[in-house]
Amino acid sequence: MTAVEDRTGALTAPPVASVGRDGRAALRRRLVDGLGTSVATLPAGEPVVVTLPLLRFARTRPDSLAAPEEPFAWRPAFVRRSLGLAVVEACAAGRFGSPLDAVGPVATLAIDQWQETGWRTFHWEPWLAGLAHGAQATVLADAAGWATALWSSLDWSGLDPRTRIGGADDQWVCPATHAVRLKGRSDVRVPLAPRGSGASDAGNEEPVALVSLSGGCPSPAWREELAYLALVAALRSPSRPVPARVVGVWPDAGADRVVEVDEGALVDAADLVVTTATAVVEARMSVPA
Amino acid sequence: MPVMDIERPHGLPRRFEGGDPMAGVPRPPAPRPRGCAAEHRHYPARWEPLSGPDLLDRLRVTGRRRPRARADLVQVLRSGLESGLGAVGEGGIGGQPGVPPGAPHPAPLVVTKDRLTRVLACEAHAVATPFGQRSNSVALACGAIVDALFRQLVTVGSIGDPMADGLAALAVDGRQSDLVGWVERLSGTERDELGAEVERQAEGLRRRWPALDPSWLPRTQEAMRVRLADGALELSARVDLAIGRPAGDVASVAIVEVKSGARRAEHRADLHFSALLETLRSPAPPFVVATYYTRTGELDVDPVTDELLMASARRTLTGARRLADLAGGAEPGRTAHPLCGRCSVLPEGDVGPGPSDGTGPGARRDGAGEGR
Repeated sequence: MTAVEDRTGALTAPPVASVGRDGRAALRRRLVDGLGTSVATLPAGEPVVVTLPLLRFARTRPDSLAAPEEPFAWRPAFVRRSLGLAVVEACAAGRFGSPLDAVGPVATLAIDQWQETGWRTFHWEPWLAGLAHGAQATVLADAAGWATALWSSLDWSGLDPRTRIGGADDQWVCPATHAVRLKGRSDVRVPLAPRGSGASDAGNEEPVALVSLSGGCPSPAWREELAYLALVAALRSPSRPVPARVVGVWPDAGADRVVEVDEGALVDAADLVVTTATAVVEARMSVPA
Repeated sequence: MPVMDIERPHGLPRRFEGGDPMAGVPRPPAPRPRGCAAEHRHYPARWEPLSGPDLLDRLRVTGRRRPRARADLVQVLRSGLESGLGAVGEGGIGGQPGVPPGAPHPAPLVVTKDRLTRVLACEAHAVATPFGQRSNSVALACGAIVDALFRQLVTVGSIGDPMADGLAALAVDGRQSDLVGWVERLSGTERDELGAEVERQAEGLRRRWPALDPSWLPRTQEAMRVRLADGALELSARVDLAIGRPAGDVASVAIVEVKSGARRAEHRADLHFSALLETLRSPAPPFVVATYYTRTGELDVDPVTDELLMASARRTLTGARRLADLAGGAEPGRTAHPLCGRCSVLPEGDVGPGPSDGTGPGARRDGAGEGR
């Protein structure tokens, strides 16, 4: 078995844990209570948006939490994931043999469709269309590299045909304060066969396994970080099963990690969210007005 | 898996694959009879750089078996590095085990090929030039532009106006805005010189660099990271080109670095550092690492062997220990070098003895008054 086959096997194995309704409700209460306390001092109009990168920065670069947000400007790094996912989707659908084959046509199609209809599927279409040739090539190279990393991480022939590549972020707004929003971004969602009979807490719907691709190396808190993606998905869709598993892939490091999602994993992730939100609030409050 | 290894040539052995290594290579003519003019006795056949399929074969066919996945080798390399690093300072390089979730993580000591080369050449020089700080120059700009053009050629298969394409590529990457601004402020003559050199090297790339089959998964500017000693140390590299699907049981990856300047001894050590990282992060080592010189078309190829990896690990350990010592407040030593007298960073240094007397780069001396 190659590393790719091993990883794909671990991703698609039957679930080994599940989270029941009671556990889910308790988790939600824990998070609402914790966040309500931590952001009580936050001035109105300054919401905290918790993301996976924020969870990481809060520990690796805590000084960055108080830094003012830079005004948004498109960069290749902001295109690489969305274009890369579209490229992988095109390859998985059999339209192209490899990411390098696909990246140019996929980007061109997106621009053509925007020019024809005015609809921006990815939002970057006008920016990319307006770039000079050399700059466009850099954007495509970045996206091709990202897509190649994901494409070569899994055995796509071994995945359920209903596997979803990309898709909208999972989001949840804390009802206690509305000042905290959690965003979870999974790159692939793979349907899994339910564990035994009646194990699912949400009717007959199948649980999914999530895949998250990250740069760099796994941090010491990789378990909580990966479980965070399942946490947001669970909060966002109470009627759907909690994702059964999250597989993290760090291509730069040639590393992968798997979290089987149970109540303990979700509680740890929720605690990390509260700790991080508290750190963000404290950092903001420490900045002189 | 819908991915492929770099396809190996079929049929008869070609050059460098066990046959006559000179087969197909233009040979000098037989000696001319006495009495001919002296200049006619010189070889008329000039050395020609490899191009197209020949260049690709030179990369693909090393004349050796491709290395197999070797967990024991990786273990030896990793444990050798970690045990060596553990001896640094009083308590060794500290780890991060048991850091509770939410608590800040100490940043690792990052070891790159540049930092390694600089600290091994001269600690004082390395300390005086902070990480990532380089003076802009025509050579640096040429290198950055040619790197971008190479990436463009691999990705989209063509280069238009080399200066325009290269500068546009650098401009869209926010990290290079300082260099782009510097180029734009160059005088007409300097900019023309830069443009001419970029044009010349781009033309060489167009003519010689082979098209890569997309199924070999060519990827540019690939990052590699390896954490050691419980995350206290991070080896980091970014290679210009990696080709071949990620390795399974047998090595399948080739790594290429592109250089726009002249050949230098440390380029090989840089390559070997990349080979070490790929080995530590993947099931199998790369089967080959190569430097492609865009100025001349030269291609330096190193098949990856255990000895190469062990030597690179030793060099990495030596450099990482020096970096760790310096980070811990140790006094930087100075290493004599023939270029010390022209050093702009430590201009007070005397001219160091040359390598011929055994005190060249890497021969560390801690005496005062020496520079680089």
